[in-house]
Amino acid sequence: MLGKVCSFILIVFILVISISGVLSAEPAVHGFIEGAYGPKFSGDKLTRKNDHNLLEQRLQLKAAYRPRKPAWLASWNPEFFYKGDLLSDEYKETLRYQIREGYGLVSPLSWMDVKLGRQIFTWGTGDYLFINDVFPKDYESFFIGRDDEYLKAPSDAGKFSIYNQLVSMDVVVIPSFTPDVSIRGDRVSFYDNFLGRIAGKEANRIFTEPAVQPKNTEIATRLYRNLGEYETAIYAFKGFFNQPVGIKNESAKEVFYPKLAVFGASIRGPAPSLGGIASGEIGYSDSLQDRSGKNRLIENSGMKYLLGYERDFPKDLRIGIQYFAEQMLNFDEFKAHSQPGDIPRDEFRQLLTFRITKFFWLQILEASLFTFYSPTDSDAYLRPRLAWQANDRWKLTVGANILFGKHDWTEFGQLEGNDNFYTRIRYSF
Amino acid sequence: MKKILFVSVIAFMLLVSGFWTKNIYAQDTQSGTTAMSEMLLAYYYPQTDAKSEISMRIVNRQGQVRQRRLTMLRLNQTPGGDQLYYIYFHEPADIKGMSFLVLKHIGRDDDRWLYLPAIDLVKRIATSDKRTSFAGSDFTYEDVSGRALDDDGYDLLGEENLGPYSCLVVKSTPKRPGEAEFSYRKFWIDKTTRLPLKVEHYDLKGKIYKVYETQEIQTIQGVPTITKALMKDLENERYTEINMKEVSYNAGITSDIFQERLLRRPPRQWIGE
Repeated sequence: MLGKVCSFILIVFILVISISGVLSAEPAVHGFIEGAYGPKFSGDKLTRKNDHNLLEQRLQLKAAYRPRKPAWLASWNPEFFYKGDLLSDEYKETLRYQIREGYGLVSPLSWMDVKLGRQIFTWGTGDYLFINDVFPKDYESFFIGRDDEYLKAPSDAGKFSIYNQLVSMDVVVIPSFTPDVSIRGDRVSFYDNFLGRIAGKEANRIFTEPAVQPKNTEIATRLYRNLGEYETAIYAFKGFFNQPVGIKNESAKEVFYPKLAVFGASIRGPAPSLGGIASGEIGYSDSLQDRSGKNRLIENSGMKYLLGYERDFPKDLRIGIQYFAEQMLNFDEFKAHSQPGDIPRDEFRQLLTFRITKFFWLQILEASLFTFYSPTDSDAYLRPRLAWQANDRWKLTVGANILFGKHDWTEFGQLEGNDNFYTRIRYSF
Repeated sequence: MKKILFVSVIAFMLLVSGFWTKNIYAQDTQSGTTAMSEMLLAYYYPQTDAKSEISMRIVNRQGQVRQRRLTMLRLNQTPGGDQLYYIYFHEPADIKGMSFLVLKHIGRDDDRWLYLPAIDLVKRIATSDKRTSFAGSDFTYEDVSGRALDDDGYDLLGEENLGPYSCLVVKSTPKRPGEAEFSYRKFWIDKTTRLPLKVEHYDLKGKIYKVYETQEIQTIQGVPTITKALMKDLENERYTEINMKEVSYNAGITSDIFQERLLRRPPRQWIGE
């Protein structure tokens, strides 16, 4: 019934859009409608629905408005932008409306931009790997086969940017903490450390978010400049882990988001003599509520290292590789305080990624494969994808999410029962 | 004795003719290079900066049409040398708002960035291969921003009239064989404007497979400018038509804007909307 209602709403929307498109040669409102279906391979039978983990229709609308009056505002080159999604999620059997972006952007001074409202932030050099990009992610969307756009979740924030030949700076202020969209078992099964096994819909962890208070405001900054053809940046962040890596109450299965500070740096530019682009990034995560590493209920501090290389070859072929290492600090304390049933960890977790992309027929068909492989965790994640741009409006994407793991508790191993194959059809306007 | 004289005369003649032909050849190479260098300046480097709105129609064998509309800003660093390019996509809808920043270098790989607004991502793009299609069209990146003069050797083949235009015909051959998909190209360069009117591409077997044709030249702010052109792929029976609108030179584009900020905050004074 709900599905029918949603489909009806979508059809009405499409009609309205197409009519407005006919009336004005260039509609001011753009967006897309998309249908997506992701049946699961056999998999485990733990989630709410077992034959698929993605079935939805989505309408995205976006519009920009640039007022020319009053004069004082116009001189600030203002821009208001809105982008919202209406999602008829037949997996969850809900109709959900989400503002993806809704912000005002002005330049009060020629060398300053201020962007206030709901927005998406990305910085750093990783490809699907994040060290200094401390902004919220939606991993559920990532693992079920939604568009890459949905890996990034929006934040309600203010971004203040200062530009200078010597060094430029971004300061992002996030008054209300937004966590990652965590995997909770309802749609994607995972390793529940309270149960000591892979859990699905029966997992009933309680998530406690930091209260919205001035002292809980998150601040992320980036200072960056180019040195020749190399882009360099240093980063600092104070806020909270985006993942609930703290346990508040074991018997009540209550988890929380501990305080976190991150300091890091990155560089990116042409690889000398090899051709292609090389990058490096480093970050120190300071787990502020467990600096000694003695508290087994809170994630330890850690170092993260990333090296990347990407290059292109004739005939629209691109290859990218990354090496990522995560080092747990105070590892001795971690070992000393671990209890039976705690998830075993290594001091160093290493991850290799490999991306290959090839375009065919003058970029009408894109074939790509992204692979994560961890030699230390003995797990892997494959993301093959074919995207066919049938014409300027229609796009068909098929792909799969395939996970392997030797152990039930590693990052990709725990998701092994969620393999899916997905198809998305999108009409853009 | 007679024999010796005869042999010396022959040897002398061979020597002279050798010099002579070599000299002619050198002259042709020289004038070919000059013609090409003038063409590159007239086509890719007119004035210090330029702004234009470019529409592309990509038509395949079945007659299906894809369209692209973009604004391009260009700033020369030095005449015939490094250049800065900024490209903002208006259409089609699914790539609207995407932008490119290209720092074109002579003698080394360009620096190229792509901005994806949906995820606020500034992506650095590897650019070892400039022969890839530009935005899915029959034009390559090199066709859009120019191929380095030093990459090819040139021969002036002669002069020919193309309609009302009197042209120099120049053959250009890549110095590193196999680096491009063509074995050589033939340019018809208008003697008055120095603009290319036609370019034939020959594949490695020597067969013509791609033809560029200028369809319209307008004089804008005193600068002869190609405003309409066609790239035909003979093998795949497809073509891309390119139209330039709202061209303005010396628009006041400065080098300090070609930074990351330009990608994240498109310059509305030039791209409109």
